[in-house]
Amino acid sequence: MNLIYSFLEAEGVDKSLLEGVRAFCERYPTEPENAPRVPAPEYYYYGNKTWELALAAILAGKNLLLAGPKATGKNVLCENLGALFGRPVWNVSFHINADASYLVGTDTFDGKQVTFRPGPVWLCAAKGGFGILDEVNMAKNEALAVLHAALDFRRSLDVPGYEKIDLRPETRFIATMNYGYAGTRELNEALTSRFAVLDMPVITEENLQKLISRRYPNINVRLRDQFAKLYGELERKAGSAEISDAALDLRGLLDAIALMEQGIASGDALEMCVVNKSFDAYERGLIRDVIAARIPTDLTRDVVFSA
Amino acid sequence: MIKKQYTGSARRARNIIWNAAGRYDFDPPFLAFYPNGKPDRYFNMVAGLVQKWLDMPRLWDFFARYGDDRRADEFDDLLWLGLENCVYEKELGERPILEQLRRDRAAEFFAEQQNLSRQQMEYQSMTVYTQQEYRWASVGGRRTPLLSPREKRMAEALRFSGALDTDGVLDAMGAFLRDFFRWDATRKNAAPKPANALARLLLRHEHKRIDRLLVRVGTGEGDHEKAVQQRHAGLGRHVAPTAEDEAYVQAVFGRCTVSEPERRILENELCVGRDANCRLWITKGEPVETADRDALEVRRSAARQRARNEAYFAEHSAMIRHSVRALSTRLDAVFSSYFRHLPEPSRSGRLRSEAAYRLSVLHDTRIFLRDGEQTEPQLCVDLLLDASQSRMNVQETLSVESYIIAASLEALRIPVRVCAFRSLRGYLVLEVLKDWRQRDCRGVLRYYAGGWNRDALAVETLGRLNDDPALHGRQRLLLVLTDASPNDSTPLSGEGLRLSREYEGAAAVQAAQEAVRGLRASGVGVGAVFHGNTSHLENAQQIYGHACVRIRTAAQLAQGVSDLTLLLMREKITS
Repeated sequence: MNLIYSFLEAEGVDKSLLEGVRAFCERYPTEPENAPRVPAPEYYYYGNKTWELALAAILAGKNLLLAGPKATGKNVLCENLGALFGRPVWNVSFHINADASYLVGTDTFDGKQVTFRPGPVWLCAAKGGFGILDEVNMAKNEALAVLHAALDFRRSLDVPGYEKIDLRPETRFIATMNYGYAGTRELNEALTSRFAVLDMPVITEENLQKLISRRYPNINVRLRDQFAKLYGELERKAGSAEISDAALDLRGLLDAIALMEQGIASGDALEMCVVNKSFDAYERGLIRDVIAARIPTDLTRDVVFSA
Repeated sequence: MIKKQYTGSARRARNIIWNAAGRYDFDPPFLAFYPNGKPDRYFNMVAGLVQKWLDMPRLWDFFARYGDDRRADEFDDLLWLGLENCVYEKELGERPILEQLRRDRAAEFFAEQQNLSRQQMEYQSMTVYTQQEYRWASVGGRRTPLLSPREKRMAEALRFSGALDTDGVLDAMGAFLRDFFRWDATRKNAAPKPANALARLLLRHEHKRIDRLLVRVGTGEGDHEKAVQQRHAGLGRHVAPTAEDEAYVQAVFGRCTVSEPERRILENELCVGRDANCRLWITKGEPVETADRDALEVRRSAARQRARNEAYFAEHSAMIRHSVRALSTRLDAVFSSYFRHLPEPSRSGRLRSEAAYRLSVLHDTRIFLRDGEQTEPQLCVDLLLDASQSRMNVQETLSVESYIIAASLEALRIPVRVCAFRSLRGYLVLEVLKDWRQRDCRGVLRYYAGGWNRDALAVETLGRLNDDPALHGRQRLLLVLTDASPNDSTPLSGEGLRLSREYEGAAAVQAAQEAVRGLRASGVGVGAVFHGNTSHLENAQQIYGHACVRIRTAAQLAQGVSDLTLLLMREKITS
């Protein structure tokens, strides 16, 4: 089995679920032509309960909707699931103008005749992949109606004017949606009912420490804890609407540590990757105050990575 | 060092305190600033840590006990020095940077002393200065000043241990003041006097004695949020409007633009249930002749406010032009995504069966349709301004902000109407500052604040005022500029209420929430630009749900309003 399987074993995820994953992978091995589409994640998702719920849903043949605010690891979990089950992944980023042809496919002229050019959902259905419907609530509901038959018990995709295909049994769709203070709309009921909805929790301080440690094993433990606390403080500030969630960026925090690893001083790294994510001068001042109360500005690589 | 009142940088100081406390649900009684007005990062952190580790309300009671003493400032500065040591020791393990921040604060202390003028030096309490100098010199590794035996004992007593809990700290504070200043916290006359408590209350809250329009009456406290709290004094309650009230409302706000029968129909539909004792007055501000002195005085005040708004507008014209450009650009991007794209011929996309023959006959491959660049806007926007007295310290800002929004929409040829609402003597007055067909938006500079705000009825009334047939069929958005603090002198009424309840607090918020929900159900997208006190943020979220953005300055308007519009458009188009 792959690395992520070992990671889940080490984290103590339910053994029977992991056995289920093993059985799934044996029944549906990765085809060599699809192997390049199987993700090789850089980060692992931390949170046993969320893992167990997601695995149970996938093994039960359900589609998953990961709902939660920014920086809760929705896309990381999607990629991790694709990697764990060894399935090729088609990532569909939704936008307001996404329509049925964007998802399923469109007519085109190949020089001789009008032909069908398959879209990501069609390919996912035909090749037994995991379709990641990113920010699914960005699209118009009529665009998503084309997915209804694919997502419910019918498990089929009917392309008007062309053929109807049945989804391969290992096909799953994992959708993500964001919500927040000035967030996005709710998904309509018809679509929501076709997913098992997993409310993504905000990463805990302990899990963030683990995440940082796994990515940067040589990091100074005391500083790692301060970085995790800093993130929690920014999250509380954004939660109380004192700052926007622009600076609440987990990737930004990890990027800042990466810059420190490259020899940039801590103050400059955090300024680039966290503070400057906000374009409001006043808000940047508030974010700087939070950072100043946790992390010295002059930390060098040797100090940060002195395990 | 520690000030008991809010100043310009107060929000930043409060954020430092909240962050250190790890909570945002309290209003800090103390904020710390440098003499140049900038927030003192370290001491604000200390104030937050006191909140985190100790029982601040009990400490605040202690501080309040000597509030009237002429040495109060001196006591404050000394006791905070003691608290600093206590919370420093408690927090250090969890926040190692504190050691460095403390050293930096020590260095700042000495740098700051060099910049003080002779007058400032003379103004300082020598006792406080000596103790601070001793503390910061020992922290910063400098040579400590020579102290008398009493001063040494004082310095020692001010090292409140990190092992102390709230009781221990209170004992230490009491013992310090007793031993060195002969001030006894247990004395009977040390308790806060009722008269003083009432005076503080009067300073904090504006009490309404009679229900007439008051223009620019400050709390005297200069609230940091520039918001004024309104409370019912009990006697000012208004029961039901009379003919005299109607004459007054007409004299102040101008004649009603809706005909009498239409107004009655509207009132029969809207002024029911909780608003049964209310009446409606919809006006464009056309003045009527009057001899009512009160009304004339209010009109003169309103004219003065308009002059102030126009002066502010002229003074900030460059910023306003820039904001209009920024907002209209952002809104254009939002609308171009959300309005229906007109289709155009293409080589791929949806097949046009009626044009399919062109492929074989004319070898024309452009027989498909795709979404083109051009869009078809079908939208009109209502802007509703809270014009109650709680907005009186931000009148110029609000008028300019609403001008920026209206002008940005007009620049995109989207019809916009701007109305201000307030309630007075049982009348909900909706004043149209800019009508749909007016292209010039400067009418919004007539905005002024005064009266109460009955948000629910205002939202419902505006929802019904869709009087331009040319706009029927367009999608409609309502943006409310609000502080989310509904409050009216006419109480809630309705069946089942044996004793009428005041229109304020949770009941008023719930009424506004229901009104917004009703309007949304009728197909109008409703969102709020929240510009108020943090303590009312929860109200805004309850009333408007997630369709609410908070802004603090006009510079944040473009981002806030475009985000809100994006959200509303998405909800409307995709629902």
